Amino acid sequence: MRLSFRDKAISGLLTVVPANERKFVDEMANFNFSQARSLKLKQVMGYDRHRIVAGPVCASDLAVAGIEHLLAGGHLVRDDIDALIVVTQSPDYLMPATSHVVQGRLGLHADMICLDINQGCAGFIVGLMQGFMLLDQPAVAKVVLVNVDVLSRKVSPRDRNSYPLIGDAASITVLERREDAGVIEAELKMDGTRRETLMIPAGGFRRPSDAETAAMIEDAEGNVRSLDHLKMDGSAVFNFVMTEVPELIGGLLARTGTTVDEVDAFLCHQPNRFMLQKLADKLAVPHEKMPSNVVENFGNSSGVTIPLVTTFNLADALLAGSRKVCLAGFGVGLTWGAMLMRLGPLRFCEMIEYREDV
Amino acid sequence: MDEFLTEMSEILEDDVTMSDALGQFESWDSLASLSVMAMADSRFGVRLVPQELNPAMTLDQLYALILAKKAS
Repeated sequence: MRLSFRDKAISGLLTVVPANERKFVDEMANFNFSQARSLKLKQVMGYDRHRIVAGPVCASDLAVAGIEHLLAGGHLVRDDIDALIVVTQSPDYLMPATSHVVQGRLGLHADMICLDINQGCAGFIVGLMQGFMLLDQPAVAKVVLVNVDVLSRKVSPRDRNSYPLIGDAASITVLERREDAGVIEAELKMDGTRRETLMIPAGGFRRPSDAETAAMIEDAEGNVRSLDHLKMDGSAVFNFVMTEVPELIGGLLARTGTTVDEVDAFLCHQPNRFMLQKLADKLAVPHEKMPSNVVENFGNSSGVTIPLVTTFNLADALLAGSRKVCLAGFGVGLTWGAMLMRLGPLRFCEMIEYREDV
Repeated sequence: MDEFLTEMSEILEDDVTMSDALGQFESWDSLASLSVMAMADSRFGVRLVPQELNPAMTLDQLYALILAKKAS
């Protein structure tokens, strides 16, 4: 579906990563694979270290820490927040919504909208869409978009498919109206028939968690996980990304009359370095224009990866000026979306650490 | 075919011949399968699905499959 937004902009980006860092080489012994095959995996996929919470840290903990940092730094004023969107697949509770939890913990005023969205790796694009739509309301001048996940708590440490790449993180994105912002063009698609490609089978109402869903089972590949754990069909995800995403981005560029040359950076979701390089090759995008260094440094934190790749690689450039960027997210649902915009100059573009010991 | 053999040798981390079966290599796993899919896509413009690759398949059969898909 084609979407376009006028006179709206991202005015600042903050990412929050847990201080706790784990190294792939230290975790290899957990997998039922030879050291040689694990090292091959590390080399091909670009795994090295990832940031995951050590204790029972929840989505709202990372979100509150990020927003408090912005309030303390004067980048955000408490009473200016008209809407708070939280995009997460790891909510604090089944009910109430995590956005209400964050609002309550921060003591924000009641004359605002709190909204949760259940989206993963395309969650930044979907969150932006929702935020920009809210900005069509005259009463909404400032939207705080939170993307947050602590999915490491739902991945089996003995699952070589998912554990080496998982990361926890939050991002806080401030959205505002800006008259000179121009047009943001986007494309968004969804396919629920492929809903089982990435899923946590148990723990919802369809299959409540019990002793049986907690049982650890070894699959044909030697990965050990339970029905309470996140399960990813890696080959299906790879095929999905290679088939749908080049068409999506190519189509968006074509219909807006934009060449690859005119785009300064392709800021994509970060599944792993391997897939991103294949994606860049398919689109004839030079690798340096599509940064792929998030998984090796922080892990894949689903909807937070686009803000992470941005704050990690482009902070100085976006504080000083603006860049023409193509954002793309793709994953659970399945959902895939891309957005073309001029990003910056931002009021803040920063990464902070979340410490569990204070 | 030389290019195919070179690529397969790299993926399977061993010397390969066209009569070898994928499953006889110690390195044949989901990562190798993914690498074959990626190689078919980037070198031959052919999209394979995981179900099309099985351990009993010989390199000959894999190459024929890629060529058949490329022609269609």
